[in-house]
Amino acid sequence: MADLTSKLTQRISKTQGQSPQRKFPRATGLVLLVAAIALLGAFPLLPFVNNYLIDVGFIVGIYALLGLSLNIVLGEVGLFDLGHMAFCAIGAYTTGILFHQLHLPIVILLPISAIVAGGFAYLVTSPVIHLRGDYLCIVTIGIGEIVRLVLQNNPGGLTNGPNGIGNIGNPDFGLFSIQSPTQFYYYIWIVIGLVIIGLINLQKSRVGRAWNYIREDEIAAKANGIDVRAFKLLAFVLGAAIAGIAGNIYASKYMFIEPNNFSFMESALLFCIVLLGGLGSIPGSLLGAAVIVIFPEIFRQFASYRLLFFGAALIVMMIFRPGGLWPRRREGLGFAGLGIRKLPRDENALLAEAPVPPRPGTVPLKTYRLPPVTVAMSEGLILETKAITLKFGGLVAVSNFDMSVVTGKITSLIGPNGAGKTTLFNVITGIYRPNKGKVVFQGRDITKLKPHTIIGAGIARTFQNIRLFPSLTCIENVMSGPHCHAKEGTWPAVFRTPAQAREERKIVELASYRLNQVGLWAFRNELAKNLPYGKQRLLELARALATSPSLLILDEPSSGLNDKETEDLMAMLQVFLGEGFTMLLIEHDMNVVMGISDWVTVMDMGSKIAEGPPREIYNNPLVIEAYLGKEED
Amino acid sequence: MDTLIQQLINGLTIGSFYALVALGYSMVYGVMKLINFAHGDLFTLGSYIGYTVLVVGASWVTATFGIWGGMAIALVAAMIGIGVAGLVMERIAYRPVYKAGRLPLVVSALGMSFVISQGIMAIWGPNPQAYLSGWTPKDFLQFGNIRVPVLQIAILVLALGLMALIYWLVERTTFGAAIRAAAQDRDTATLMGINFNLIIFFVFALGPALGGMAGVMQGLKYTRISFNMGWLYGLKAFTATILGGIGNIPGAMIGGLLLGVMEALFEGYVSGAWKDVFIFLILILVLIWRPTGLFGEKTAEKV
Repeated sequence: MADLTSKLTQRISKTQGQSPQRKFPRATGLVLLVAAIALLGAFPLLPFVNNYLIDVGFIVGIYALLGLSLNIVLGEVGLFDLGHMAFCAIGAYTTGILFHQLHLPIVILLPISAIVAGGFAYLVTSPVIHLRGDYLCIVTIGIGEIVRLVLQNNPGGLTNGPNGIGNIGNPDFGLFSIQSPTQFYYYIWIVIGLVIIGLINLQKSRVGRAWNYIREDEIAAKANGIDVRAFKLLAFVLGAAIAGIAGNIYASKYMFIEPNNFSFMESALLFCIVLLGGLGSIPGSLLGAAVIVIFPEIFRQFASYRLLFFGAALIVMMIFRPGGLWPRRREGLGFAGLGIRKLPRDENALLAEAPVPPRPGTVPLKTYRLPPVTVAMSEGLILETKAITLKFGGLVAVSNFDMSVVTGKITSLIGPNGAGKTTLFNVITGIYRPNKGKVVFQGRDITKLKPHTIIGAGIARTFQNIRLFPSLTCIENVMSGPHCHAKEGTWPAVFRTPAQAREERKIVELASYRLNQVGLWAFRNELAKNLPYGKQRLLELARALATSPSLLILDEPSSGLNDKETEDLMAMLQVFLGEGFTMLLIEHDMNVVMGISDWVTVMDMGSKIAEGPPREIYNNPLVIEAYLGKEED
Repeated sequence: MDTLIQQLINGLTIGSFYALVALGYSMVYGVMKLINFAHGDLFTLGSYIGYTVLVVGASWVTATFGIWGGMAIALVAAMIGIGVAGLVMERIAYRPVYKAGRLPLVVSALGMSFVISQGIMAIWGPNPQAYLSGWTPKDFLQFGNIRVPVLQIAILVLALGLMALIYWLVERTTFGAAIRAAAQDRDTATLMGINFNLIIFFVFALGPALGGMAGVMQGLKYTRISFNMGWLYGLKAFTATILGGIGNIPGAMIGGLLLGVMEALFEGYVSGAWKDVFIFLILILVLIWRPTGLFGEKTAEKV
């Protein structure tokens, strides 16, 4: 075994590459950033800038803030939200109503508006969050319309109907109050600056990555321990809260709000801002907002034609720059793009100092926060399925299936195509719920657990048809693995607490180790979709390993690999076995099955037809019949 | 009782407009997976084309061809005009963006929606226009206490007839099978020898043409038309489409009629101001209960 390991590392070290060339050096980026901030800051002081232009700058700010808030939902998570103005309306009306009814100062109403808008988003989106793409889209449009119509219908005399609410006060900070266009200009852009700092911190944390995983492939995200529902809701709540802040500021600037400020048209504009800027791109959202506001202003002299030009411009933009004006780039940045503190300049140094992860099931797991192991891991059973039955309509895909996996061994599940093997894997990993039967893992019944909890308990899987996160880099893909054991949530990410920074560092170390182990270190900053097929399989394997599972379930790991690659894979699996990973494979390549399995279970038509050591199975007449058919007498 | 029947007939009429527009949504969505936000504006454009035909020479058309002939010409003109508009729209706004994915397509569709509605405003002006009373028949049919305008019955019959025709075409003919195949899997359908471009052509001509005709019918029935009425009709029709299960042709028709009837009943018995709130609430509740609409197929994603 030691021999194999050293061979493996030798081979891997040959493929180690250099850090990627940056597209442009960090210094240039910094200069650009400082210049942009200086320009924004000095704008109202420039000689030719009058109050009208300052107000345009303010409106750009409002749309930028709203664009940033929608970008969380639409850009980061990929949820079609075409009713986002509803949340802004809730914020604005919370401000307007409470200002008049309770005489609360506007400044105090700012956080209250954010909380009310966020809470509203939680209430209305939690029953519908599971809807797919276009269905969610119409529901958000519906929510937007319902909010606008309710405001218009003046329930309880609170909203004053179509006449709107006037005489809303200005923000008063005690020492000074915000009244002039210049003051409002600085007010909104300072708020935007703070929001952006928080958003960048979130984007470059496991929360932001989890959002992106969901956007890229929801099922793969689930299977890698991401609580999809919770992270989607989080995005909506956060996006709504920021929109609520924008509503508060808008209301206090114009001192007047009416339902038509928050129409579908406005929501559609926000949607365009995010797409014009580039999905998930923070500078893109600012740029998109500037385009949306300034473009019609430039064409103001054409009065009624300006929206026509605007519509045409949208189409032209999507034809020539479908990715947006300033798309978020991941690949050129290297590890610096991950935003993790104090990483060594040389990425290879990180790899050298990354500790070897502890063997699963052997303790001291504190460092990686694995869940406590509940059962003695000697020669016991790690996994048992008890009388699993799953039907799709009238078709019995898995029937009364019993199977067990012994700790520290490689078990293979074989059978002809369509026997129900992958379906059984989906039952074990919680993607399907069986009609009957139980799945017991480490002595615990996991039948009813959600996929993301099961992976946290220690079962990781790969997919038959590779499911990676295609537009994320390889290292980001593997970093989804440790997610399920990480603890630090949203607020630690926003404020970059030391504990959160330490955890992020651990995540990248573990991911680097696993990526290197499968020989893909050289490709760490490459997008997953650009890898050739065989390497994609390895990447998926690294991602599953990075969850530090006790049981690794591999669905046809060798399919699509050539002989050499298959051989390497077998060697690699032996290494993992030596590390203490128990494995369960579906495999068609009999060389692999017979070569590395300790135990083989044979499935046909949803039922178990044989099990035993590989040699025995090889000669079992029932198995031969299942594969080749019955011999004619 | 009389009110109930009256409201039912009104609901069916407006529901049939929704259904015709919804058909266009559903057909386009089926083959392109695109929510065509400009579809409601094509409906408006159809209404304006019909209006223009009827207004010619303060209605030389009606004078020459009679009331029924005039209306028929307006309908045919809108059908052809909007069919062509649909094809042009597909060429300039959707085909070049198709490869970029679904979100850019949505933005392109929103852009197209602005272009059409603002274009209508630029041509016909921002003020609402009216279909004049001289262009439509004034007769009534009397059933007991219920008086139903002949025009409304004609509109209802025509709309239902069109729906039946589309149903037959899509569900009962070989060409319809090709459309359904292309909607399920574009690549496989192409490999099986289906001419995908022909399907696109058909869908983008016929879907909008139906909407254009519905636009004329709307003008004939309610007389008042405005450049921005399309988005509300579009939204309602889109709601109907989703209610029935997007991409499902009979679903879109039933969804449209159902929506119209529910709306009319709610308006008649509860409140006009709250009817849209009610409609969207119903939509959301239906989707919570059945995430892919009333007649949508349950799709379990293959893992």
